[in-house]
Amino acid sequence: MFKLRKAEPRDVPDILRLIKELAKYEEMEDRVLLTEKDLLDDGFGEHPFYQCILAEWQEEQSNEEPKVIGFAMYYFTYDPWTGKLLYLEDFFVVEEFRGKGIGSGILKLLSNLAMKTRCSSMHFIVAEDNRSSIEFYKRRGAEDLSKEEGWRLFGFDKDSILKMAAPAAE
Amino acid sequence: MTFKIRAAKQEDCKEISRMIMELAVYEKMQDQVKISHKELERDGFCRNPCFECLVAEVSEEHKSLQGYTVVGYTLYFYTYSTWMGPSVFMEDLYVMPEYRGKGIGQGLMSKVAQVGKEKQCIRLQLSVLDWNTRSLDFYIKKGARDLTASEGWHSLRFDGEALDKLAAEAPKD
Repeated sequence: MFKLRKAEPRDVPDILRLIKELAKYEEMEDRVLLTEKDLLDDGFGEHPFYQCILAEWQEEQSNEEPKVIGFAMYYFTYDPWTGKLLYLEDFFVVEEFRGKGIGSGILKLLSNLAMKTRCSSMHFIVAEDNRSSIEFYKRRGAEDLSKEEGWRLFGFDKDSILKMAAPAAE
Repeated sequence: MTFKIRAAKQEDCKEISRMIMELAVYEKMQDQVKISHKELERDGFCRNPCFECLVAEVSEEHKSLQGYTVVGYTLYFYTYSTWMGPSVFMEDLYVMPEYRGKGIGQGLMSKVAQVGKEKQCIRLQLSVLDWNTRSLDFYIKKGARDLTASEGWHSLRFDGEALDKLAAEAPKD
């Protein structure tokens, strides 16, 4: 059976392991450059950049330590039209533990948290070829803002930022 | 005509709220604006602000027909990439029509890039509407990549009834 809890500093090795497993699932595992130290500093330091929920699995009547088999990483963002938002950055359950209600449980816990913290909605991105995830979210009422409203996600990488950050005329 | 870019103060929220509405009208989504300057004051100038904001200001002699000297703004916040670390997300960038073409938009965006760089951000991200070719061209010329086109990322959202329903089914603590 599973249990959901807030991640603690000691969980950082498991968090990194699951981040890499999710990246592998998205066929982008070579893009993970974060280390355990980065995750520790960025999530459990003075100014946390993220919050994390973990899913633990323990076989009934077993003396073994529970295993971390799922996670969700999130933070709060802002929509100038509606206010505070909960942004779901990563969300993953290890393959052999899917279909047991763990993903649903995490999503429901997060939406409850969104309501408690006055968030008007929960946002996230999905790769368009990830049909099973898109169906999972749409079944629960999510809207695809790229399709329905035409929003396109853009990014500037470090080189472009450095170029733009060079002293601007004032 | 010179302009100054500075951090927004709580008193600027009425002007920022005005321009948020002007941007929403430009994006043809003005009926989606539900908050006013009061929420901006509460959420942006508290102990743990949800966002940061820069404004572009001109001198009195260059004020707009309606008398405004705050003529542009950008609203941004920090996000986290589990692949690479801290990022900055530029949520809104807007310059009043009569002040465009003078480097104000570029100036605002450069300042956000500078702030991001100081906080060790590895990335600056934003969303643009697919029909907004003028803005798309502006960002692409500065080096942005369309990640929806190149990597297939789509933005999704749960709100209103869907969010309420999901929350009501949360496991009890």
